[in-house]
Amino acid sequence: MIWSVAWKNIWRNRMRSLVVVMAIALGLLGGIFSSAVLKGTSDQRVREAVSRETSHLQLHNPKYIEDQEVTYFIGTGYKPIAAVLDTIRSVEAWSPRVKFMAMAGSANAGIGVMVNGIDPDLERQVTEIHSLICDTCGGWFKGGRGVPIVVGQALVKKLKVRQNSKIILTFQDMQGNLTGGAFRICGIYRTSNSVFDEMNVFVGRSDICTLLGADSLLSHEIAIRMKDPDETARVQKLLQSTFPDLKVQNWKEIDPILGMLNDFMDLWLYLFMGIILLALGFGIVNTMLMAILERTRELGMLAAIGMNKFRLFLMIMLESVFLSLTGGIIGIILATGLTVYTRHTGINLGSFAEGFEKIGYNPVLYPSLDLYFFINLTILVIFTGILASLYPARQALRLRPADAVRNE
Amino acid sequence: MSIIAIENLEKSYHDSEIEVRALNGINLNFEEGEFTAIVGPSGSGKTTLLNMIGGLDKPDRGTILIGGNDITRLSSRKLIDFRLRNIGFVFQSYNLIPVLTAMENVEFIMHLQKIPRADREKRAMELLESVGLGDRIHSRPSKLSGGQQQRVAVARALASRPAFILADEPTANLDSQSTRNLLGIMERLNHEEQVTFIFSTHDQRVVEKAHRIIVLEDGKVITDRENIPVVEP
Repeated sequence: MIWSVAWKNIWRNRMRSLVVVMAIALGLLGGIFSSAVLKGTSDQRVREAVSRETSHLQLHNPKYIEDQEVTYFIGTGYKPIAAVLDTIRSVEAWSPRVKFMAMAGSANAGIGVMVNGIDPDLERQVTEIHSLICDTCGGWFKGGRGVPIVVGQALVKKLKVRQNSKIILTFQDMQGNLTGGAFRICGIYRTSNSVFDEMNVFVGRSDICTLLGADSLLSHEIAIRMKDPDETARVQKLLQSTFPDLKVQNWKEIDPILGMLNDFMDLWLYLFMGIILLALGFGIVNTMLMAILERTRELGMLAAIGMNKFRLFLMIMLESVFLSLTGGIIGIILATGLTVYTRHTGINLGSFAEGFEKIGYNPVLYPSLDLYFFINLTILVIFTGILASLYPARQALRLRPADAVRNE
Repeated sequence: MSIIAIENLEKSYHDSEIEVRALNGINLNFEEGEFTAIVGPSGSGKTTLLNMIGGLDKPDRGTILIGGNDITRLSSRKLIDFRLRNIGFVFQSYNLIPVLTAMENVEFIMHLQKIPRADREKRAMELLESVGLGDRIHSRPSKLSGGQQQRVAVARALASRPAFILADEPTANLDSQSTRNLLGIMERLNHEEQVTFIFSTHDQRVVEKAHRIIVLEDGKVITDRENIPVVEP
């Protein structure tokens, strides 16, 4: 019965309660949707970076991580490692890479790049670069004359070249001599990270090993894509113990900024929502204080006829929780609707595309939030209601029934 | 045997620097089935005395024995429970819960006593019928007249089966007709069901109906006498 009384009490002053409910609903709508955009953007960046840039795990010669010298290969070659990787069920694919810095030049310009010497068939199972070549931009090591190279669109612009243009890569070979080769652009890819696109070129591993004067079984890096990303830590541990001379890194260690973004995003979202709820909590406190002031005599009567302090507190707390929960549920429903809709359509910030791509973000944002966020948010809303009821309830409990019943 | 025994009750209030002696050595006994009016001018101590008997305030000195318990010594928590189970209150301003119907207002106190729903609904219905509101059980207080609201308040006071009912100026906000109706109901309950009523009043019509009249002045009992109630023609 106290629950029913509390629910009815909040609708005594319908307009005042509706104003508070709408304030909570709109506050949460704004907060949740902003969080969904932030989370979606962050998840998208992490997903794209893992699938295009870092993969889930990488193995290196530890010296190579400190100094990307062309001579710091994985000593055993990639075959023994590949044999182990093939036995791990949670590993989806792996790709050995020869990776070093070089100077890329065209007839028009020159620029420093990271050469990724890959096995095209193995690499396409690990990264998505092959799928980011548009229909009119060639293909993934397909056809054409000369030694193929796949380059990013940003590099194409920089070197003022196009598909089938020739570019020269200049670099040091295994003996430290300056060497190089001519490559024909067979494909132009475009990720949402223009810095990556400008920096990374992909060539055949056997082609580049020949130019380096290195054994074709050597590689600087083995990139691993996991079937189940949750297994990454376990596999990392397993590989590290199996190959103690190598350094096994997960994507958070490879790109610490990305790792931090991922780890702190949830914390940030809860902090963000917490601040919004705190502000809304003050609104609830104000409303509840007014309600108690108006009902002094009634509260005194309840205490006089034998309603104990716990029940009185419970009634006021329930009123506050109902008020916040009503607004909270409306806000959550509205925000869910908006998030689902924009997740389907995307939010195209095309006019800011250049800026977004410079920092590695896709200009089309897809808001997303998981179920746990909504569950935790509902708990936070209830908690806010309880917290907001404490001071008003304390004021109510301090009323002396004898005085309160005669209050005019 | 007395259901209420008051001895040497004293209570002072401090208004700024001035000490006001609201009760000054009150000694009274109330028997079961009494219909007692406490009268006196404003500031004589009527409300303070009712508050003390009702356990809403604590005296500076003295004892109030109700059913053998000295309520002045009860903790705040025990006192609330004591009030719930032993004392019925009727207030000058009715003080019903506006969001509840007449029936729910009467039921509420039984809910606090943890009486099962079916039992409390049955009793609430009986009580509202006994105060002549059997046809208004689903009306909220805002849809009832002042007299009807006060009758709901009497039904609510009776719902917890208290040892006695304290009524502080119960007719102060009622017109003549409503006052007559209310007094009729209170008299009937007193006569037929031996409900003990102790009420403070300024209203001469109410005083005339009392079986016992206690006159207070300056916190002291000036007169305590039996009264032969005036019978309405």
